[in-house]
Amino acid sequence: MTLPSVRAALGALGLAFLAACTTAEPSDPAQYDPIEGFNRYVFEVNRFGDEFFLKPVAVIYRGTTPEIARESVHNALGNLRLPWTFINDALQGNLNRAGDAAIRFGVNSTVGFLGFFDPAKDMGYVQHDEDFGQTLGVWGLGDAPYLVLPLVGPSNLRDGGGLVVDQFLDPVNLVARGGINLDGNWFTFTRGGLSAVDQRERALEAISELERGSVDFYASARSAYRQRRVRDILNTAPDDQIPGLFR
Amino acid sequence: MRRRRLLSVLVVASAPLLGATARAQQDAGGFVRGLAQRAIDEVNAPGNTDEQRLGRFRTLFREGFDVPLIARFVLGRYWRVASEAQRDEYLRLFDELVVQTYARRFGEFPGARINVLTVSRPNEDGDQIVGVEGQLPGKAPVRMDVRVRPVDGALKIIDIAIEGVSMAITQRDEFAAVIQRGGGEVEALLVNLRQKVGAVR
Repeated sequence: MTLPSVRAALGALGLAFLAACTTAEPSDPAQYDPIEGFNRYVFEVNRFGDEFFLKPVAVIYRGTTPEIARESVHNALGNLRLPWTFINDALQGNLNRAGDAAIRFGVNSTVGFLGFFDPAKDMGYVQHDEDFGQTLGVWGLGDAPYLVLPLVGPSNLRDGGGLVVDQFLDPVNLVARGGINLDGNWFTFTRGGLSAVDQRERALEAISELERGSVDFYASARSAYRQRRVRDILNTAPDDQIPGLFR
Repeated sequence: MRRRRLLSVLVVASAPLLGATARAQQDAGGFVRGLAQRAIDEVNAPGNTDEQRLGRFRTLFREGFDVPLIARFVLGRYWRVASEAQRDEYLRLFDELVVQTYARRFGEFPGARINVLTVSRPNEDGDQIVGVEGQLPGKAPVRMDVRVRPVDGALKIIDIAIEGVSMAITQRDEFAAVIQRGGGEVEALLVNLRQKVGAVR
């Protein structure tokens, strides 16, 4: 395939994408999925990869590692996310939460032995995570169009873009890579890989349950992702406000 | 002087209401805890066959959840366009699907414990959210938010949210997607449900 034809194909894809985006949203925003056909395909490919690679690894991880060790790994990974969370809290104007993140990071990195322990939680500072996609959401960017990203899974244009920014600007990654670039680096690879396995292991029951009870797993996953992101962006606890259901 | 008396009359008059609200709050937490415990105990009692376990769970489930209400919510605007026969079949299939999906879940988790963490104040529908933590041996605790509503005097669960994801809303979005892919026909959903319920069994 020659370079001009590749460029032409990409251009056509881009135009089709834009065209899909400019069509009016249907009355049901939950069903707005302009490139659903493509998304479903990527979803199936991801599922295949999950079934034969990530999920088995997560199951083995759970089977061979005691709960305490897994908790420690989870804590350390969460701790590494705190500097970037702090920055995003600040960008969103949440100075209180930014302060919480800073205190957590300070306490857990030192007293908590590089974050493997979580003494900050006992002090009343619970983990929360912010990424650039959430910041964009707080700034008013909507979550359409829905996108299923290869390997990553359910996302959307805003959050996918946010993920790229996360990778570039996460302070922990910056220090590890020695600058703003995307060079391969044992630390970032290990961190990324461990994060994927850690999250997959913790979600084993939830995902298999969602799949088992679904007649359309793709649609269920799409709905779940959207709800989750709304909650992440608003930072509301369910007790804060109980919206009416079944009106 | 008169204003103070009026105020004290108001306080006295509202006391029973406040007491009832406080009692209702206690009930919501206790209700969820009791229901969960019964499910875990009764369903996992030794010597139960799969049939017996499913039967016990079915009874408990219908007692604790307002299944018809949830079913109607989940079908959403398509409830109105569905025929009488379609509605009947849908309710039957939905009931069966939900029971089977959750019964299997409870059956896999002996030794589970439920801790009630928070109970919110009732909103204008009388809904309360009971924050619980499900503890399974050897696994990370799962935080769930159980929405409870008084229906005809009894408390019923009408939704469970995990990490901000509502089961009712997720299922409603899912069923709507199935119907729309089937050209807006409720029948498309029924076909899928028949298959699913038959298969899960």
